[in-house]
Amino acid sequence: MSELAPRYSAAALLRARFDRHFWGPLWRRATPRDAYDVVVVGGGGHGLATAFHLARDHGLKRVAVVERKVIGYGNVGRNTTIVRSNYLLPDNFHFYEDSLRRYENLSQTLNFNVMYSSRGVVDLANSDDEMVMYARRGNAMRLAGIDAELLDRDGLRRFMPELDPSLPRRYPIVGGLLQRRGGTVRHDAVAWGYARAAAALGVDIIEECEVTGLSTAAGSATGVETSRGAIRAERVVFAVAGHTGAIGRMLGIPLPVETHLLQAMVTEPIKPLVSTVVSYMYGHAEVYMSQSDRGGLVMGGVLDGFPSYTREPLWHRLEEVVQGAVALFPQVAGLRILRHWAGTNDQTMDGSPLVGRLGYDNVFLNGGWCYGGFKAIPASGAACATLVATGQAPDLIRSFAPERFAAGRMLDEKGAGPFPLRQ
Amino acid sequence: MSSFGCPFCGPRPLEEFSFHKTLPNVPGGAFEEVYLRSDDPTDSHEHWQHRYGCRAWLYVRRNPSTGRILEVRQLTGSAP
Ligand SMILES: Cc1cc2nc3c(=O)[nH]c(=O)nc-3n(C[C@H](O)[C@H](O)[C@H](O)COP(=O)(O)OP(=O)(O)OC[C@H]3O[C@@H](n4cnc5c(N)ncnc54)[C@H](O)[C@@H]3O)c2cc1C
Ligand SMILES: [Zn+2]
Repeated sequence: MSELAPRYSAAALLRARFDRHFWGPLWRRATPRDAYDVVVVGGGGHGLATAFHLARDHGLKRVAVVERKVIGYGNVGRNTTIVRSNYLLPDNFHFYEDSLRRYENLSQTLNFNVMYSSRGVVDLANSDDEMVMYARRGNAMRLAGIDAELLDRDGLRRFMPELDPSLPRRYPIVGGLLQRRGGTVRHDAVAWGYARAAAALGVDIIEECEVTGLSTAAGSATGVETSRGAIRAERVVFAVAGHTGAIGRMLGIPLPVETHLLQAMVTEPIKPLVSTVVSYMYGHAEVYMSQSDRGGLVMGGVLDGFPSYTREPLWHRLEEVVQGAVALFPQVAGLRILRHWAGTNDQTMDGSPLVGRLGYDNVFLNGGWCYGGFKAIPASGAACATLVATGQAPDLIRSFAPERFAAGRMLDEKGAGPFPLRQ
Repeated sequence: MSSFGCPFCGPRPLEEFSFHKTLPNVPGGAFEEVYLRSDDPTDSHEHWQHRYGCRAWLYVRRNPSTGRILEVRQLTGSAP
């Protein structure tokens, strides 16, 4: 195995020009040691970011991330890469704003280009009533110092000339809510960047190692059982996204979670067309779209519609997304779809995350991120690391504690009630 | 999983059916019933409707890891 890639800089890049071995692997392939301070289960964005902050902010020397497949296999590599903080409820917008700020600087933090692109996120409105709802959400954000702009049709035309809002559509476009600092971040780079930065701080990244059980003694956890043997741990963090429900079952702890599929697709590359992230709800369906740097249109919609672990996306959901895309931009009708995939989401009963203790004093859950947890990764990693290292949840994630359900303090952004599919 | 056998209409495309809810599987009171799940990756008990067909309400058992439908029958008794 060649040497690890060094710290990136302009000078290093110049060196790379002459050194064929410059671009080495980004992290060491670790094999499990006997014991760790913290074992983080799940090598997605949340697990890797938690491990990175445990090592960087709290000086923990013996941290492992244990991933059953390979880094990037899960939702961190399957999402549509949208980041934003345009929420209505204060507990949500404060948290997601913290995350967006961290994304703005993440390339520097990790010394890895995550290609944050503040191209804006626009939610289109179909009716004047929807504009009223958007004004309410935008104003709530602005009162907290977060950028939001309500656009009428002319405002939309100025911001995204590629869209003709006055075309006849079954669900007309009357305006929208814009967050300019929202946009996209390259998802694979987030996974690789955190893995590389964590490994550089001494974190063991252990791939192809599935956690199959929790070892306990006298009411606390002593480690995990894995497909590669037992590993002792002072503390265990589960950050398994779509497998949160399965972990609850493994531990015998019922959770307010169901596992649902979300799918996405990308078209063949075309010349620049869509300059922003645009989201269009029409009837019961939705399309959100952005254009990748390669030129493909990256699109997604609503959840497939019933509990599933299969990762087999439904064709009729794809059709709806495409219909929405064509309603927005009629000229994309002939495009071919290059790829189409799905990921398993841990949909909670109020649509908000579950971050807190899980059954034992030294076992933690960082999950319940539903279909919107990519944008949460930097803030979640920092806050969850503080929780694990100090035992105290920082203010930013206090209302994400799983105990909120029994206490009747649901954090229901949509007001949809206890139906994970509708959240 | 691309088609569904309706007890009244026979095999029909999946998009005619809509999932309504997962049946409670955690013992306890109303709180457990409404908010908690024991997420069995191989056996899920659900209510569906043949919404864009005969509109019958159905009791469905499925394996969410393979998509296989294990049982479909008409929902009887009280409304879902
Ligand atoms: C199609 C799609 C589009 C999305 N679009 C967006 C978006 O635009 N913006 C946004 O903010 N969010 C989006 N999301 C949601 C976001 O991707 C997820 O909420 C987030 O990535 C989940 O956290 P993660 O990165 O840690 O998950 P993952 O990457 O799934 O990591 C969890 C890891 O745990 C591993 N694991 C599971 N069980 C075990 C075990 N027993 N032992 C060891 N390892 C285990 C899995 O293999 C997996 O790698 C989208 C999701 C999907 C599916
Ligand atoms: Zn029928």
